[in-house]
Amino acid sequence: MEATLKKEKLGQWIAALQKHGDVFAPDFVEDAWEFTKVKSGAEVPLDHTNTVRPAKGFVFPQREVLYRFRLENGKAPELTDSEPKVKPAVVFGVRPCDGRAMVRNDRVFACGFSDPYYQARRDKVVFVGLACNAPPSPNCFCVSLGGSPHSEDGLDVLMTELDGRYHIKATTDKGKDLVTRARDLFQDPNAADNKEVRNAHAIALEHPQRAISTMETVVEALRRNFTSPLWDKLAQACIGCGACTYLCPSCHCFDINDEVTGKSPLTGERVRTWDNCQFPDFTMHSSGHNPREDTGARLRQRICHKLLYFVENHKMQQCTGCGRCITHCPVGIDIVKIANVMEEGVWQ
Amino acid sequence: MIAVEDIKARAKDLLESGKVRAVLGYRRSSAGLLAEPAFMTTPEETAALVLDTTCVENLALYLVNEKKRMKHARQSDKRPLAIVAKGCDSRAITVLLQENHIRRDEVIVLGVSCENGGMIDTRKLNKALRGKAATSAAFDGASSVKVSYIGGGATLPAKDVLADRCLECAKAYPIDTDFFFGEKVDERSYGPRFTAVSAFAEKSSEERSDFWAGHFERCIRCFACRAVCPMCYCDECVVDSTNFIVNPTTTADEKANRVRWINRSASPSENAMYHMVRAMHLAGRCTDCGECERVCPVNIPLRLLNTMLEHEALEMFQYTPGLDAEQPSLISSFRDGDPNDFVR
Repeated sequence: MEATLKKEKLGQWIAALQKHGDVFAPDFVEDAWEFTKVKSGAEVPLDHTNTVRPAKGFVFPQREVLYRFRLENGKAPELTDSEPKVKPAVVFGVRPCDGRAMVRNDRVFACGFSDPYYQARRDKVVFVGLACNAPPSPNCFCVSLGGSPHSEDGLDVLMTELDGRYHIKATTDKGKDLVTRARDLFQDPNAADNKEVRNAHAIALEHPQRAISTMETVVEALRRNFTSPLWDKLAQACIGCGACTYLCPSCHCFDINDEVTGKSPLTGERVRTWDNCQFPDFTMHSSGHNPREDTGARLRQRICHKLLYFVENHKMQQCTGCGRCITHCPVGIDIVKIANVMEEGVWQ
Repeated sequence: MIAVEDIKARAKDLLESGKVRAVLGYRRSSAGLLAEPAFMTTPEETAALVLDTTCVENLALYLVNEKKRMKHARQSDKRPLAIVAKGCDSRAITVLLQENHIRRDEVIVLGVSCENGGMIDTRKLNKALRGKAATSAAFDGASSVKVSYIGGGATLPAKDVLADRCLECAKAYPIDTDFFFGEKVDERSYGPRFTAVSAFAEKSSEERSDFWAGHFERCIRCFACRAVCPMCYCDECVVDSTNFIVNPTTTADEKANRVRWINRSASPSENAMYHMVRAMHLAGRCTDCGECERVCPVNIPLRLLNTMLEHEALEMFQYTPGLDAEQPSLISSFRDGDPNDFVR
C-alpha cells in the first residue's frame, strides 16, 4: 500500500494513532537523539541522525520479568507467570539499518521457537521507518552489508521525505492498519510522486559510505584468522565496557537471574536482562576458569558472531551497518577496520 | 607550542634502545574525530603518534590494565612502559603511585602540557551540531575551534566545545615526569574550579534528587564509566554478578553465598546505588580526567558527581589528589587533631 502525506498533516496522523496507543519518535534530548514518547500535539520534525539507543528495546527490553515466585515455609512454591502486558505502540523515525536488525532479532526470538515475551511486544509495536535521504554519518556502512538507505526489511511502514510531503509505503498488515485508520489524511501517489521517490532513493545510494567486502569474503577471512595474533593487537585498547553491544540494534544475548524482593515469605522475580559478551563474567565458569579470558578473545567473539557464526547459522550477517559500536566506542575500536584488516591479514 | 616531532623522537629512541616494552600514546582513529590509544612496540610505529585537542583518553588506565594482564601472561617482560600523559592523566598516575598500585620504576612518563589548549568535549560538539558527527576539530587561534562534518563546517568559541574539566583546570601540565614537553601553564582564563558543582549546590535537595533520578534512570549499566577509570582497579566489584576471585580452594558455599549487593537489572534504584558506590570510592582519588563522563553512551553527567566529592575533600581536608606521590592518601590517613575521636 502506497500513499503520500503532506508534511503539515503528520501531526494529525500521529494524533489519530495516539487514540490507540503510545507514539514514539526521536527527540534531541540535551545532546543526543533518543526515542521519546510524543506528547499530545507536539511537533515531530523527523530530521534526526540516528538515535544513540536503537529501537530494539521496544521489543527486547533490558529487563523482562519472566515469572514471580513465592515460597512460604512448609508449602509448595507458588509461581506466577508474567507475560508482558504491552500497550500498543507506534515508533516513528526508525532508520532502515535498525529495521533490518529487527529481522535478525526475529531469527533469534521468533523463528522455530517463538519467545512469548518477545512476540507479545513484537505483535503490539509497529515500526515506521524513515529512509535516509541525507548523506550518512561517517560510520554508516549499511550498503556493504546488503542493506540500503531505504531498505524496507523489518519495518511495517517506510516513509521517504519528499518536497513538502512524505511518501508512505506500508508493507505489513500492522503498517497498512496505521494508514487505513486515518485514510482521509493521505493521497494516492501519482506518477510525479513515484518519480521523486525513486530519485531520492537513487541519490541516497550515491552518497559515499564506509565499506567491508562481500559476506563470503569476510566469512573466509574470519575463518582463516581465527587464531591470528591480530585479535590481541586490535583489542589492546579495549577497556571491556559494554557500550558496543548494549547499543547494537541486533545484539540479543541475555542473562537470567532471580531477584529477591522479600525474605519471609521468600518472594521475588525471575528476570531476563541483557548480557554482554565484552564483560569478563559473560563466560566465567564457576571454577574461576574463563575460556575467553582476555579482550582479544572477546572482541573476536563479537566480530565473529556478527559476521561469521550468524552467517553460518542463518545465511545473513548479524550486523546491519548502523555504526553505533564504532561511534560510541570510547577507544575507537572499529568493526569496519577489523573486517578489512582480517581480510588483508596484516595491520601496520 | 609542543612539537609532536620531539615526542616521536623520544618515543622512537626509547623503543630503539629497548628501555621500554611499549610506548602508550595517541594516533588517528578510523572510528572518528577522537584520537585513539596506540600501543607502540616498534620504533617504526611511533611515526603515527599524534598530539592535539582530540587526544582525550587518559592512558593511565592502561598501566592498570597491563598490570592485570601481566599477572596471567606466559612471558613477563619486566621493562617499563612509557606513557604520554597530560596534566590530569599524570595526576592519575601519581594517585596510583600513592596507593602503591604501580611502582615509579615501572613507568616512564612522557609529560605533555596542554598549554593554552585543552581537550574537545564531543558531547558539546554533538549539541552544537545537533547530532551530526564532527570529522575534524583543531584550534583556530587560542580561543576558537574549527570543526568540520560531512556537508559543512563551523568555527566555534573554544569555551563552547572544550571539556569542562579543561575550562576549570588549574594545572594544565603534568608533574613527576621523566621527559617534559611544552610550557608549564597554571591558570586557564576560562573559569574557576568547581563552577558546575557550585552552581549545582545552589539547587534544593528535591531538585538535585530529581535531577539524578532522571539521569540514573537512563543508565544502561554498560559499566563504561567503571571500565575507563584508572582508579577502578578492584579485582572484584560490588556490582559484578559473579565472583572473580575464585581459586581451587574456594568452596561451593562461598560461591553460592556471595552477597548480591546490586541486582543485575538496570532499574533506577540499582543504577543509583551503583553510581553512588562508585562516587564514594573515588572520593579523594579522582583527578578529574573526565573520562567517565565522556564514555557514557547515554550522557549521564558523572563528572558532576565526582567533582562534588573532590570539592568536599578540598573543603574539609584541604586535600587535592594526585599532586604528590609521597603524600598519604586521604582515605588511609588521619590527623591527630581530627575533631572526631573515632578516627584516632
